[in-house]
Formats: sequence, C-alpha cells, structure tokens
Amino acid sequence: MELLQMTRPSSFSLISTKKIIQMNNVYTSYDSKNYALKGISISIDRGTNYAIVGQSGSGKSTLLKLMNGMMIPSKGTIKIDYQTPNMKNKQFKLMMHKIGYIPQSLGLIKNITVLENILIGALPRLGKIQSLLKMFPEEEVIEAKKILKQVGLEGKENRKAYMLSGGEKRRVAIARAFMQKPTILLADEIVSELDHITAREIMALIASAQKTMNLTAIMVHHDIQLALEYANRVAVIKDGEKILEIGVEGDKIVDFQTGNLTTEEIMEMYSNESKK
Amino acid sequence: MNPKNNIIVGIIIALLFVTSYNIGANPIEFVKGLPNLAIVAEEMTQVEPKLFGTAFLSMFETIQMAFIGTIVGVAISLPLSMFAARNLNSKYVYAPVRAILAAIRTFPSILWAILFVIMVGLGPFAGVLAIIMYTIGFVAKLQYEVIETIDSDPMDAVSSIGVSKWQLIRYVVLPESAPHLLSQMLYMFDYNVRQTSILGLVGAGGIGFYIINYIKFFEYGKAAVFMLVVLVTVLIIDWASVKIRDKYIIKSQHGMKISVK
Repeated sequence: MELLQMTRPSSFSLISTKKIIQMNNVYTSYDSKNYALKGISISIDRGTNYAIVGQSGSGKSTLLKLMNGMMIPSKGTIKIDYQTPNMKNKQFKLMMHKIGYIPQSLGLIKNITVLENILIGALPRLGKIQSLLKMFPEEEVIEAKKILKQVGLEGKENRKAYMLSGGEKRRVAIARAFMQKPTILLADEIVSELDHITAREIMALIASAQKTMNLTAIMVHHDIQLALEYANRVAVIKDGEKILEIGVEGDKIVDFQTGNLTTEEIMEMYSNESKK
Repeated sequence: MNPKNNIIVGIIIALLFVTSYNIGANPIEFVKGLPNLAIVAEEMTQVEPKLFGTAFLSMFETIQMAFIGTIVGVAISLPLSMFAARNLNSKYVYAPVRAILAAIRTFPSILWAILFVIMVGLGPFAGVLAIIMYTIGFVAKLQYEVIETIDSDPMDAVSSIGVSKWQLIRYVVLPESAPHLLSQMLYMFDYNVRQTSILGLVGAGGIGFYIINYIKFFEYGKAAVFMLVVLVTVLIIDWASVKIRDKYIIKSQHGMKISVK
C-alpha cells in the first residue's frame, strides 16, 4: 500500500480501507484559554452518511474545518485516509481537491454565473494558462451541465448567483462540490433556514448522489429529527464534547457511544437539551 | 455639554484665531475685496463665442489625456493592489509595495507633471504620464483596501478546494472586487478630467493651458468660455457615471433581485 500511495498520490480513493476519517481525542482552541472542542473522538466508515448535531456554538463547524485542514487541532490526532489534514501541506492539498466543503454561508461568488460557480470545482484539474484565461475544456463544461441538471438547476446556468433563491444557492454550492468529483462531502448546516419541503429536497438530492458517487457525507445539522432521517450515524455535540453517538437500526435508535441508552431515553435526553 | 467638551471647543476656537492671525487671514480684507470679484465676474460675462471651437477641441484633448491616464493607471495599479493586500501576501511582499505606493501618492499630480515636463518636454504626453502616476497611487490603495474587505466566505470555500493562489485571485478576488474597481475607475476618470484641466499650468497640455494664459493677461471673458466648457463636461461625466453606477454597481453590491425574462 505504501508503494501504491507513492506512485499514485492523487488516487487515494482507490485504497480501500474501511475507515476514512479518524479523530482521536481532539482539542481545539481559538484563544488558547478556552477549548472549542474537548477530547472529541470520531471514527467514520467510507460511504457513511454521518451527521453532527448540536446547538449553536457547540463546535460543530470547527469539526468540519478540522476535517479539511482549514484548522489544526491543539491536541490529539486526525487522519483523513491516513493523512494529517493541513491546508498548507502540499500532499494534503492534493487530497483537498477531492473534499467538497460547503460552508454555512455557502461561499458562492455572487457576481458570476451559476455555471461559472460550478466550474470552480474543476479548477484543480486545470492548467495555469487555462485557468488564467478561464478556458475550461469542453468535457468539463459538459460535466458541469450534467451536474446542473442533477441538482435541478437546468436552464439557470447563466443567472448570476445573487439572483437565486436560498434553495437554489444551496443547489449551486452542492453542484460545485460535486464538480470536484469528491470522495468526502462536508456540509455545514446546508438546510437550516430553509422551509420543510425544500430542506428535504436538498437532503434527498445529497442522499441519492451519495449512493451513486460512493461518497462519504458529513453534514452538520441543527435538527436531530432531520439528521436521523437521512444519516447512518449521528453524533451529538454539546459545549465542545461528544455526548452521544446514535444511529437508526430498523425502527430503533441505537446508542453507539455507550450502548446503554434506549430510544426513549435518547429522545428525552435530546429534547431536554433543546429546551435548555 | 459636559465641561470637558466645553474646554475642547474653546481650545479649537482659540487655535482658529491664532492660526488665522499667523497666516494673515482677515475677514475685513475679504469683504473689502468683494467689489474686485464683481469686476472679474462682470468681465467674465463678456464671453467671446468664437472661442468655443478652440475650447471644445482643447477639452477633447483633456478628455483623451484623462482617458489614457485612467485606463493605463488602473491597469498598472491592479496587479500592484494584489501584491499590497494583506490577506493575500506575507508581510515581506505587501510592506514594500505599500511603501512604494505611499511614496507615489506623496506627490500631487501637478508635481508629477513638472517632473515629466522636464523628462519628456512640454505637451500632453507629460500630462498623461502625471495622470498615470497619480492614478496608480490612488487606485492601488483603494483597490487593496477593497480586496482586504472581501467577504472571507467565498475565499475560504474556494481555498478549501486546494486551488492555487493565482486561481483564487482570478476566480474569487477579481469578480468579488470588480464592481468596486469599476466604481473607482469612474471616480478616477471624473477626477482626472478635472486634474488634467489644471495641468496646463505647468505646460503639460490640455484645456488648463488656455485658462491660465487668458487669466494671466486679464482676459476673463475668454477664460470664461473655457471654464464653461470644463463645467459642462464635468457635469456630463458626473451624470454618465451615476447612470453606469446604477446599472452595473449598485445592483451587484446589494444583491438586488432583478427579474429575468
């Protein structure tokens, strides 16, 4: 496997191991006094739909930024496909090409068109001159249009991003991530602030793409009901600590953290937390 | 008003008197001088319509100088602003570039004009060079300030793909700052037209050359023709830039929704 990694550095997705993300006893701090995350350990299997749930300020977004190397932990270890995430590391930068990250604000460029926003996902595959002159190869444009259709934005490719509705903007951000041909998708509260129907449409879109693209999706949510509906596993974060890790098996909610809690206890625990 | 503020206001008024005395500012002299203004104003009403042709031609020259100066100046200032932005470069890159830009800004355009008249001789070319320098100093500063205030979310989102710095500039920084750049270009063109109108003072071409010479020979009626043309031109440019701003800048900055056919 060493050899395989050395000779084909960008094709890490071929290396089939079960665990794609491993975080062990991770601490982070923004101001060196208070920890934003305290001793988080998470292990995520390849192809999983993983959800992270918690109140505002609990440290959910920080977790995602650790996974794509935009933040470095103060203590503990993180491995993404056996590599330590750090966006300043050249080796990891190759891996970032395949990690689709959708921040809560979506990060669209408002003055350019939908199609141009989506094509940004193809930038790592473009040469210097091509990217300087905005000369995307025809197959990339075809691919972008295919994804545009997949996310339900057909016919809107020439609209400027600022003209779109909230739901449409989210679809563009998803399409940009898909354009990266990702192995991991990180999405930060992508359906919060959306109405019930649109939120479910967006979730269904990601869920179906996840299966066809063999994607590992890690999504941060506010709403535990929604998370349980779509995710295989749900981690509940409170004040920087993981207090629960649950999943749905049949019609039961199973406690994977301690194995002791029943469905009712879990739901009660969460509803108590929400009231606080 | 609290006592502390009273003291501050008192000090400012006292300083106003002291400095006015020092520079010899005397309101009585001002009032006494008003009849002189009336004489000039009266002479200015005796315009010589046959000079309008020359005035329009020299105004056209001035506009051309301002146009070249603005476009070339902005083109040079754009890459400089990228190097001067703190959010895109290390201290070792942005600090020296900022120092150079600050040095360029120290000279007003009229001083640049004198310098270039010495270098390339009398005429509009020296004026154009002066305008270019002035534009570089200001637009680069305005532009790097815009770049530093670009929303960090698209920057973060696109950096997270692992793109190169040049791709980040091309695909995020440029489009996000483009409306501001257009606004600065319009402002600078407007400003440069007025600047170029006075560069004639030092022989650097343009309509200012006529204005200053007619004033020197007390031919206020003739100078008035040229000043009128400057006034009308500046008003037209001002009107046009408001229109362009409305069409291209305001909407994109505020994310205004417009209906699409």
